[in-house]
Amino acid sequence: MAKRAPHPMPEDVHRPRFEVLDHTADTGISATAGTLEELVETMATGMFSLMAQVSPCSTAHTVEFEVGATPREDLVYECLSELLYLAETEDLMFCAFQVRATGSDSFTVTAGGVPIGQIGLTGPPIKAVTYHQMEIREAGGLWHGKVYFDV
Amino acid sequence: MRELTKISEHLWEIPAEGGMRVPGRIFANDGLIEAVIEDRASEQVANVAHLPGIVEASFAMPDIHWGYGFPIGGVAATEARTGVVSPGGVGFDICCGVRLLASNLEESDFASKRQAIMSELDRRIPRGIGKGAIAPGGMIADVLLRGARAAVDAGYGLEADLERCEEFGTSEGADPGVVTDKAIKRGASQLGSLGAGNHFLEVQVVDEILDEEAAKAFGLARGMVVVMIHCGSRGLGHQTCTDHLGVMGDAMRKHDIDVPDRQLACVPVESTEGQRYLAAMAAAANFAWSNRHILAHEARQAFAAGTSASWEDLGMDLVFDVAHNLAKLERHEANGRLVDVCVHRKGATRAFGPGHPDLPEDLRDVGQPVLVPGSMGTASWVLRGVEGNPAFASAAHGAGRLMSRKKAKSVASGAQVRKDLEGSGITVRPGSVSLLSEEAPYAYKDVDIVAEVCEAAGLAARVARLRPLGVVKG
Repeated sequence: MAKRAPHPMPEDVHRPRFEVLDHTADTGISATAGTLEELVETMATGMFSLMAQVSPCSTAHTVEFEVGATPREDLVYECLSELLYLAETEDLMFCAFQVRATGSDSFTVTAGGVPIGQIGLTGPPIKAVTYHQMEIREAGGLWHGKVYFDV
Repeated sequence: MRELTKISEHLWEIPAEGGMRVPGRIFANDGLIEAVIEDRASEQVANVAHLPGIVEASFAMPDIHWGYGFPIGGVAATEARTGVVSPGGVGFDICCGVRLLASNLEESDFASKRQAIMSELDRRIPRGIGKGAIAPGGMIADVLLRGARAAVDAGYGLEADLERCEEFGTSEGADPGVVTDKAIKRGASQLGSLGAGNHFLEVQVVDEILDEEAAKAFGLARGMVVVMIHCGSRGLGHQTCTDHLGVMGDAMRKHDIDVPDRQLACVPVESTEGQRYLAAMAAAANFAWSNRHILAHEARQAFAAGTSASWEDLGMDLVFDVAHNLAKLERHEANGRLVDVCVHRKGATRAFGPGHPDLPEDLRDVGQPVLVPGSMGTASWVLRGVEGNPAFASAAHGAGRLMSRKKAKSVASGAQVRKDLEGSGITVRPGSVSLLSEEAPYAYKDVDIVAEVCEAAGLAARVARLRPLGVVKG
């Protein structure tokens, strides 16, 4: 499958895309989207925006990976965890995401971003994705997700 | 909201109900318990009480606050033979902990060299997100196996330092073979680095001694300048926890275990999955022991460069190194019998009392040093372990957060926090100024009260109060 360029999240559609959840020590986001793939893209955008605002978003540096897991909470957990791993090991702050379903419980994820050294942090680095109170559900034709991060 | 019953002046209980196998017990005074109620951390204490094989109670230290799965400040001991081990009871920053070095400098000596020392620390201590480290990645295999001893053999620190480390700087049972390549890749570029968030290196002065005998045994005296380092296992530990949480879902179904929060995922200690996790956790712990050892070595070099003296002439002796995110197999008395348990301390410090055989010989009469860091701008404490600790030899690990990061940021900007700290005589060397507000002193509980409650509740006794002079933040 040809590698496609990930796209930065548009600023003006589907608002509110995600909101930051209050937590005494850590942080989290809740998000809404039309499909599970879009939900993962939105949650990834939210996760990285907690650390830095990359503007303009450049996709000169991209990564791509495949992930498969069930149930869907695990699939989302694996996607977001892999993005954190790649961000740290590739020294990139991601700002653009493309998620494509390759099966009923698998995705191909493409992410683009800028070298970490080129941007200033606006929030503490996220250490990991947690399962604490994690929710991934479909209701009323929309997908809703909630996840907390360890910082 | 869970019902809380006040048992005594410093102890509150959540009665065992529903799926709780034991009650919850929170050590707090009337003031601290208000914060517990407000941030719903008692709910997490109750959730931990559901763990199979949990013994006596699900405990919470006076610095308890809402975490993920376990509360921060949570302690749970599970039967080693029939109970479970939960990676969530250790957390992502495996073996995060605190190390304290004592110099023979006095505050006035530091004042005259303040800028030079702080600049050297600023220059030498890698921190912030991602890569950047003091030690070469090629050491990692040895570090995972032998912990701080590997660092000493590579020229970082002294043999004598190991005597003053919990577990003597090496966690037993480590198997680098069960640490994933991804974890190793993350760790290889971070050996000897601080990280970010609430991690720090702080220069402090001993401004009050409450127990002269213990202070003397620990090598502390009033007016002495000390260095405190707070950090953990960096990306290697984060990845190790992530890897194991990922496989725990299937393993729980296999072992027919159900818990109220997926972050409490657990498997029998003696199961293949449990043993693999403990072996990987020990290896990640070895990374953390070694990481703090290497950073301490660099801090010694920075003090030497900043004062134009050799660090040996400055003292810079290791007081102690403690972990506050670990699961350990220990023997304790519980319900009137000796039991072998897996003690999970998630944001809690081991606090062995006098006479414990695992303490170094020269500290055995006074008990283990327990290091309780405060927040920037407030004090930190050195406590000591006492006999009869009611929570599987555990004590607080810090001040404990009071305010969310979002709320803390709304109170003041990072630049303002820096200005306020500098105005009160604390030199600040931040990795990122904008992040300072999230870690501002007002975001935390009063560490003096936390230390006081530790003592009043019989968890640990106060030895010395440390006041900050300079801070290097991630």
